[in-house]
Amino acid sequence: MVRLTNVGMKFNLGIEKSFSFKELFIKTFSFKKKKKKTEYFWALKNINLDIKKGEVIGFVGSNGAGKSTLLKVVSGVMKPSTGKVEVNGVISPMIELGAGFDVELTARENIFLNGAVLGYSEKFIKEKYQEIVDFSELHDFLEAPIKNFSSGMIARLAFSIATIVNPEILIVDEILSVGDINFQEKSRKKMQEMIDGGTTVLYVSHALDSVRSICTRAVWLEHGEIKMIGDTNEVCEAYYKQEMKN
Amino acid sequence: MLYIVEGDACMFFVNILNNIKKYSFLTKQLVMRDFKVKYKRSVLGVFWSILYPLLTMAVMAVVFSQMFKFQVEGVNYLVYLLTGLVMFNYFSEASSGAMASVVTNFQLINKVYIPKYIFPLSKTLFVGINFLLTLIPLLLMILFTGSGETKCIINIYYLLLPFAYLCLFMFTLGMGFILSTISIFFRDMFYIYGVITMLWTYLTPIFYDITMLDPWVQGLMKLNPLYNFIDFTRVIILHGTMPSAHSFFMCLALSVPVLLIGMIVFKKNQDKFIYYV
Repeated sequence: MVRLTNVGMKFNLGIEKSFSFKELFIKTFSFKKKKKKTEYFWALKNINLDIKKGEVIGFVGSNGAGKSTLLKVVSGVMKPSTGKVEVNGVISPMIELGAGFDVELTARENIFLNGAVLGYSEKFIKEKYQEIVDFSELHDFLEAPIKNFSSGMIARLAFSIATIVNPEILIVDEILSVGDINFQEKSRKKMQEMIDGGTTVLYVSHALDSVRSICTRAVWLEHGEIKMIGDTNEVCEAYYKQEMKN
Repeated sequence: MLYIVEGDACMFFVNILNNIKKYSFLTKQLVMRDFKVKYKRSVLGVFWSILYPLLTMAVMAVVFSQMFKFQVEGVNYLVYLLTGLVMFNYFSEASSGAMASVVTNFQLINKVYIPKYIFPLSKTLFVGINFLLTLIPLLLMILFTGSGETKCIINIYYLLLPFAYLCLFMFTLGMGFILSTISIFFRDMFYIYGVITMLWTYLTPIFYDITMLDPWVQGLMKLNPLYNFIDFTRVIILHGTMPSAHSFFMCLALSVPVLLIGMIVFKKNQDKFIYYV
């Protein structure tokens, strides 16, 4: 379903600094000719991963370990610097909820805009519009611009739009912690439904409990490399131990 | 759907037809978003699209024909002004909007996979809708101003106008691709382009006649794509004659290659955008 072979992702840390005339000026007129040092940062190194249909894979690791970069590479947002990513199936990326919302527009308008961003067809959204509204429970606020919404309401709306499809591959990055308890429960249930329906899930979370409860396999990433892969409980245990030591 | 993302060789050849179908809804939504957001809080709303060029034309007409006594022999000066103005405004608004579109939509590009060319394209289209609206005041001016010799008459050659507008669109889109690529790597372009557009306004015969210039300047001017597109429409609207074959050729020669170059430049660099925005 998803196969990563030798995937590496290189970022050039020097990029921010280049292209300023100040720098150019200093460089041109300084006596010491310093060789331009490019600093590279490998957000991902040598990732080999084979994800089968129906698997629910959890990614754990500390901040900056490369979890989100990995999801972005899989969803096609970023091209890997080395290696190959093969994806076979329709992806629904929930990397950040509400990416593509326009705060000036109303909830109704945003449902269509965001649906288009996620690649739904016009016909599909029209059919599913009521279902999205029902799931989000935002009936009373459909005509209000979402700049007046609370972050929880925005998350509700975004989650409802993103999960209306039955994607073959679902990419979830740290989003189930949004909304009130009622909605958290509701969204967890919805996700479980999708998993039961055979959706392959790539799940990133810092909440080890939720990783334990839904994932069939876990990957522990550290400094861009896979440190451990295997049974969810073992990986979580090992990761937890190391984190506590530091 | 199977896609393979290759690291070193950027081989992501998209089936263009397929993509147009797949992303037409998104393009439409983005155009609608721009449209809604633009007029959301204004009282007159969409009427500004009609009012604005009329008012600009009025200002220019007063300044140039009353204060500086500009005249273009044998034509209706108001229509002369407006034909140039609507096309130039379209170009400057659409190309600078397209230039900024990739940077301003970075939030999206960084989160969801969307072909990046959608942003310059939807911007150019959106301003295009606006452009079509500005043709209404132009039509009003054609119908209700001028008298005797300078009266413009709607003629059969109007059917050729879309050709000039299409060339203008292709040229603008091509420029949009080139500018948005440059501006991602080199943000100073936003300021530089502002100055360039200002210069371009004066280098395009919007309010003056090209025959007022020295012959060598005239020669140069004929390489200005905007001059060619504008002149094409003026020949039809003001003189009621068929544009020359040379005119057709120049319009195509100055628009199609720009669009192609823009597409190539954009495509070659689009994978690097994410590191720079």
